[in-house]
Amino acid sequence: MSRYRVSMDIGGTFTDAVAYDEETGQYTAGKASTTPGQLTTGVRNAMGNVVDELADLSFIVHGTTQGLNAFLQRRGEKVLLLASDGAGDVYQIARGHRTALYEIQYRKPEPLVTRSDTVEIGGRLDPAGAEVAPLSEGDLVAAAEAFRGGGYTSIAVAFLFSYENSAHELAAEAILRRELGDQVPISLSHRLAREWREYERTSTAVLDAYTAPIVRTYLEELSEGLAEDGLGVPLHIMQSSGGIITAAAARDHTVQTLLSGPVGGAMGGVSLSRLTGRKNLICVDMGGTSFDVSLIVDGEADVDTEAALEGFPLLMPVVNIYTVGAGGGSVGYTEAGGLRVGPRSAGADPGPACYGRGGTEPTVTDANVALGRVDPSAFADGEFALDPDLAREALMPIGAELGLDVTAMAQGVLDVVNAKMAQAIRTLTVEKGIEPADFALVAFGGAGPMHAAFLAEELGIDTMLVPRFPGAFSAWGMLETKLRRDTARGFPYALEGADLLSLQKIFGELGDEVAAQVASEGVEGDAIDVRHAIDARYIGQEYTLTVPVGSPDGVDTPEWPASIKAAFDALHQSRFGHSNADAPIEFVIARATAFGDLGRAEPRPLEGADVQLDLSPRPVSFDGTDHDTPVVARDDLAPGTTLAGPVVITEATATTVIPPNWRLDVDAFGTVTAHRTTDNA
Amino acid sequence: MTTVNPITVEIIRNALTSVADEMNATLIRSAYTPIIYEMKDCSVALLDADHAVLGQSAGLPIFLGNLEACTEAIEEQFGREAWEPGDVWIMNDPYVTGTHLHDMTVMAPIFTADETELLGFATSRAHWLDVGSKDPGGTIDSVDVFQEGLRLSPVRVVEGGVQVKSLTQAIGRNSRFYHGAIGDLGAQIACCNTGARRLPEIFERFGAETVLAARDEIFRQSEQIERDFISRVPDGEYRAEGTIDSDGATDEPVAVRLRLVIDGDTMHVDLTETDDARPGPVNCGATQAVAAARVAYKLLIDPDSPPNGGSFRSLTVDVREGSLVGAVEPFPVEWYFTPLGLLIDLVVKALSDVVPDRAAAASYGDSMVIFLSGVDPETKAPWLHVEPTVGGWGAWDGSDGQDAMINNVNGSLKDMPIEVLETKFPLRIRRYGYRTDSSGHGRYRGGVGVSREFELLADATVSTWFERSRTPAWGLSGGLDATGPDVVINPDTPDEVHALKSANVALKKGDVIRTMTGGGGGFGDPKERDHELVANDVAIGVISEDTARSVYGLGEN
Repeated sequence: MSRYRVSMDIGGTFTDAVAYDEETGQYTAGKASTTPGQLTTGVRNAMGNVVDELADLSFIVHGTTQGLNAFLQRRGEKVLLLASDGAGDVYQIARGHRTALYEIQYRKPEPLVTRSDTVEIGGRLDPAGAEVAPLSEGDLVAAAEAFRGGGYTSIAVAFLFSYENSAHELAAEAILRRELGDQVPISLSHRLAREWREYERTSTAVLDAYTAPIVRTYLEELSEGLAEDGLGVPLHIMQSSGGIITAAAARDHTVQTLLSGPVGGAMGGVSLSRLTGRKNLICVDMGGTSFDVSLIVDGEADVDTEAALEGFPLLMPVVNIYTVGAGGGSVGYTEAGGLRVGPRSAGADPGPACYGRGGTEPTVTDANVALGRVDPSAFADGEFALDPDLAREALMPIGAELGLDVTAMAQGVLDVVNAKMAQAIRTLTVEKGIEPADFALVAFGGAGPMHAAFLAEELGIDTMLVPRFPGAFSAWGMLETKLRRDTARGFPYALEGADLLSLQKIFGELGDEVAAQVASEGVEGDAIDVRHAIDARYIGQEYTLTVPVGSPDGVDTPEWPASIKAAFDALHQSRFGHSNADAPIEFVIARATAFGDLGRAEPRPLEGADVQLDLSPRPVSFDGTDHDTPVVARDDLAPGTTLAGPVVITEATATTVIPPNWRLDVDAFGTVTAHRTTDNA
Repeated sequence: MTTVNPITVEIIRNALTSVADEMNATLIRSAYTPIIYEMKDCSVALLDADHAVLGQSAGLPIFLGNLEACTEAIEEQFGREAWEPGDVWIMNDPYVTGTHLHDMTVMAPIFTADETELLGFATSRAHWLDVGSKDPGGTIDSVDVFQEGLRLSPVRVVEGGVQVKSLTQAIGRNSRFYHGAIGDLGAQIACCNTGARRLPEIFERFGAETVLAARDEIFRQSEQIERDFISRVPDGEYRAEGTIDSDGATDEPVAVRLRLVIDGDTMHVDLTETDDARPGPVNCGATQAVAAARVAYKLLIDPDSPPNGGSFRSLTVDVREGSLVGAVEPFPVEWYFTPLGLLIDLVVKALSDVVPDRAAAASYGDSMVIFLSGVDPETKAPWLHVEPTVGGWGAWDGSDGQDAMINNVNGSLKDMPIEVLETKFPLRIRRYGYRTDSSGHGRYRGGVGVSREFELLADATVSTWFERSRTPAWGLSGGLDATGPDVVINPDTPDEVHALKSANVALKKGDVIRTMTGGGGGFGDPKERDHELVANDVAIGVISEDTARSVYGLGEN
């Protein structure tokens, strides 16, 4: 009897699972300790907490951090890189880029392959894909020899102009297979990214070669393990694009699952947007040492056509996650008689003073604890207790220096960090050309709901949402995402004089390609939605905007040039605040994306549980004054509950703080919605 | 005097910086020219009504702390009553701004919502691609400012909230890239509007008295941080000098001489011994020389916190009018940053012994620019390509210098991908890679420069500006100097020509240009370098076996 849709997300400490029961229309969340070294055990344990029999599953999706962790901990494959003759240093030079402007002791990220792991291969194409010099078989045979003798485990091939003509990369693959056999992992750049810019494409191929074999092994083990346990449906994997893919299809596009875990939160935002009908959301995920922001605009995730991972570019659609601060670990200190909070962080070790691990500097978490906003015994699922005395002790020295008592000092640390985080969000919205006051704030992660109301006040936002499973929000979000496949091809021509019949043909081919991929994953007919878009810019600009094209049928009509130009101008106006109707535009890259709709949960309202809320207060400090503040358990908040702030809501993974000038409602699906009742910004 | 609690002070300090960040985000996201949004060749500052910096967001390090010179100049000339709500001014007079004509400064007075009181100014400076110089995109051999393009003394481009269309057009018509100029102007106006909207919000939220008292405390903190740092540097006189290869118009080296005096908690930078202004375009206005001294000061003293009106109070700079860095009309200024890059490096060098943890050996030192232009044989359209070249950065105590990185004053610019370059222009890159043995050797070695080889697929004209062959990147603490740059036309042929600096050289289809950049200086005695590291450098081809033996003593024991 298949009735459960299940998702699971592996974090550093816990593996979360969320199940949706199609019969009752209700969700259950469960978790188990992550089991490093044998992750499938933790996954099975977590699933066991939400469903009895795997045979009961109708759909399963997974966010994996296997590849990402291998990258972050630099324990990926040993990669041999094959590059075009004369261009072997492209990967080392990394475009000469640096990210800090005032640093004479700057260091570039350490490349994943060294110069001696790089072999130049004779052969050259021109920008149109025509052969300038033939591929050197001798060089490839020598490279195979180097592979065997050098202890390599994976190969990346990235030749110039392979996005225009893949013949040399394919021939290289065939020769390498002949020499080294079918088992050697080979990543060809054009398969992963059919776009120009050799460094970015090479980096994508190297990241694939570095992580994919590990992810493939993991997915095979997991799929087999789940099948043994009775799973009868294909395992789906979250991609960096915010769409999903079957584990089988992920074999060929493994690198696209690299950010599988982190994007889950943004997809939770998309689901929450659908559930609440709120189109525009700013999602903040604040943990012990991190503060990440993602945006939902008009109901959709904010997806870019490329991203960078610790400085290494990835040419593929990626949901934007912005890391803008240090979270609860940010340290408060004094400088020249002034107060500073962050960006320095106490990290996880020693961590905040109240962890009792030897930290003596006051952090944001210490300030929250000192003010009574965190239940010291119920932190991090009761894993360890916090010591409020240590928090207060740590705050005393800077308080003494600035002439403030502990309460005022703690309040000050929070006021400063909230103002800084809000300003970072505001700068982000300016870059995106959006107005924060038009958005609602969504808070998740352990510390997000503790700060969100204060951030909202700083940003002029009136509404904040705390989803039902703030600790398992990523897993919950994945449940409803669609299959997604992307492809692209260069089309570097000015609009004026462009061969639009040829563009139409390219769009047709790209669309067919991704539609067939989605169809092969078991979706048919109307459930497949193909969208086309083109990257364009004013001639003379470098950055592009991706303009939706609608149906490619109209591309060859006389009206199309004017309409695509108008669409580009309008997009430019909304993103950048100005546009230029007189300036000519040019195209860069044509794109197609296919979505496959796998159906979704249709949640039914929760039953109004008949719990008598215990509203006995305890003192919590807001703005320097103790307020009698009820502390309620999230599980006791039945739909329809309305409470005036101040209130502290506790649950296993998070603490929500509703300040005095706010009130909260619990909606039919268990989402806590808080509204500002006075305008004090 | 009002006292403000330290929490409010810190919130206001961050809010003011944040306004500058928002202005900068507005400018960079809406700019037309890659030089602005990738090279970050721009800067914004939020000023108070006394022209003191409330918040600044750079942008190019070299623009640090001198936008106020422009609002002060306007007020000096036209009086305080010149400031009217809704106006935006523009100027690029290099003898006031200190930079070159490409850099347009756009600024707006900020008033209270009821328009009764002047609160401050929103200012921005950005590099425009072309301002009508005698050659496209800039000049190599200009002999006066009038060959370098449009020169604007301060003028209102927006009046009472309405952009002056006639003037806007006239400015645009002076550029070879009309849409780019108009687009960048629009971005700078939008940037000022962001500041003009946000500053009054801060005054309203906290009250004018609180904001101004907080401002005084913020300035005091910055001043104290700097004075505390300088107090720890031993008193004394420190000197350094170096040359740039030539001024572009003639072939003589030009010396930048620095005398630096630390006295208690103050630093004095004396540039008066620097050479006289030159006939070629390497001069700069005094304002920018002061800015460059501030950049070096900031790099060494307090690189992380944004500057404000309390910064640089402990720094004095002496510039001689009529010298290279105190240029007056009509001396040409197109490459004003070449001596300033050297000046910044020299300040670091002068203090490297007494501030060792912040110092590094010299980097390859200049932008190393090649201009290529022609007419596309197929489309018949004219094309122009300008690219700076990456090179090696200096080593420091504890680390090798970085290989192949963009020049310090080029912000976060990236090199031009081969695939983009060959698609857009009739050029082929035959080789682009590390230049073996170009780094300065040392216990920590400098980064390597690169060699980049262009083959012309059609007739083309080339100009080059490669610098620092006479003062290549120096080493520190026993580390060796690096190899300097070289440019060779048709290398390894009988017609081979070296052309570090050249203007409008006509070349034929099939000709080859090889540009080579220098490395960074080394740190410490190369004989002390771990031999395993030396062996690895040989294995990856960064140094030759000969060098490993002769300089590092590999193989000896």
